[in-house]
Amino acid sequence: MEEVLRFANSAPVWIFASIVVAIVIFQALIFIRIASRTAPNIGMTKEETKRALRTGFISSLGPSFGIAVVIISLIAVLGGPFTLMRIGIIGSAATELTAAGIGANAYGVELNSPDFGLAAFTTVVWTMCLGGTGWLIFTALATKSLGKVEKKIVSKNAKMMTIVSTAAMLGAFAYLASQQMVKGYSETVAAIAAGVSMMLILTFAKKREIRWLQEWALGISLVIALTISYLTTLI
Amino acid sequence: MTVPTKAGVTEANIEIKQTTMSMQGFHAKSDFWGQTTLWMLIVMSFVPPIYFSFILGYHPGWGAIAGGLIGYAAFIGIMWFLEPITYYPVLGKSGTYIAFLTGNIANMCLPCSAAAQESIGAEPGTKKAEVAGTLGIAVASLTNIVIIIAVVLSGSYILTIIPQSVQNALQFILPAIYGGVLGQFALKKPLYGLVAFVIGMAVLFAPIFSLIKIVLCVAITIAVVLFIEKSKGGASD
Repeated sequence: MEEVLRFANSAPVWIFASIVVAIVIFQALIFIRIASRTAPNIGMTKEETKRALRTGFISSLGPSFGIAVVIISLIAVLGGPFTLMRIGIIGSAATELTAAGIGANAYGVELNSPDFGLAAFTTVVWTMCLGGTGWLIFTALATKSLGKVEKKIVSKNAKMMTIVSTAAMLGAFAYLASQQMVKGYSETVAAIAAGVSMMLILTFAKKREIRWLQEWALGISLVIALTISYLTTLI
Repeated sequence: MTVPTKAGVTEANIEIKQTTMSMQGFHAKSDFWGQTTLWMLIVMSFVPPIYFSFILGYHPGWGAIAGGLIGYAAFIGIMWFLEPITYYPVLGKSGTYIAFLTGNIANMCLPCSAAAQESIGAEPGTKKAEVAGTLGIAVASLTNIVIIIAVVLSGSYILTIIPQSVQNALQFILPAIYGGVLGQFALKKPLYGLVAFVIGMAVLFAPIFSLIKIVLCVAITIAVVLFIEKSKGGASD
């Protein structure tokens, strides 16, 4: 296992990880650029562009720290650079851990067992890296076509897309929230507290026209929900 | 559905004529850069396994590799296709390219996209929403990668300076994120929020293959909401 981690943390692997990270950063910067340039043409003011960027940043802090806490388990198994590579691109800690287990089993050993050697680790690397490309390949090939389907729907009825988008969002998050809520009392409290805070903050911010509060709405709701649900674990 | 007045129609047409070019340009550039970055990453995904197998010489044999990949595909392979399709109506074209490259779609990209749209009052599904959502997701992707880099490079040191109570509280981040986003949308459409929640719970407890449950929930919610809209439209006529 120690030998595995020595190779997993070696310089070439760090270089691969840096290239992957560079691609992620490059893509984000490119899209910020083209979206900012499109904004004025569709009636977005400079202030609105900045506000969208700021809100994205504030809202991503909670989720990012949530992700960061979970990846510790992954660093122990895969080492730093592979964790960076796998979580930096499509993939979540849970998926990658399962994938690592599947790869190890395919080689005939258990993850973290004394027999888990470099050949087993190589199987894990193949499984994780190529398994993850499934989403990348499908997205690279199909997104353009999905755009055409969308255009057809929009050209028929512009209002339709708003309804479909809203319904899709509600459907996805109603399921995700339900799935979490049945896990336990504290999870239920967290979901309800966040939902209610979000509604209250947004209603208040709109009524009083407090723009910055709108930007902070998700961030504040997360803090309130985490605090309340943590308190329920102490009782 | 409201019946647009004649003036409303011409106004909408003029608006479309003025903006399609630039929005078309945005979509073309999104396709180009989205596909380029995705293919770069696909190529890069082959490098570490090939390096371990053939440069370091720890090749486990193609049988084991095939076994691993088949196991992976059986575990989650259906999501390769279902996730991009399910989330497309919400993410839009550019959002899809970023979200599926950076990952953490439901727990980060979608909430940040929705928050960015909300902050400028953009209706979901409109051009403004797509551009604002793209900005939100792109910034989130940047923030996330910076935080992961910091955690990994510091050897998780950063996490040790976060108090234990905060770390314990963070275990509830997922229900909080999902509940918060649900609240944001339910505020706009309380009825549909309730409908979605009932469908969500029903699908959750239904004896269905668990991976497709979210897709099913999205599809049923869209169908029911469209049905309600249609009957409302009929009533107002």
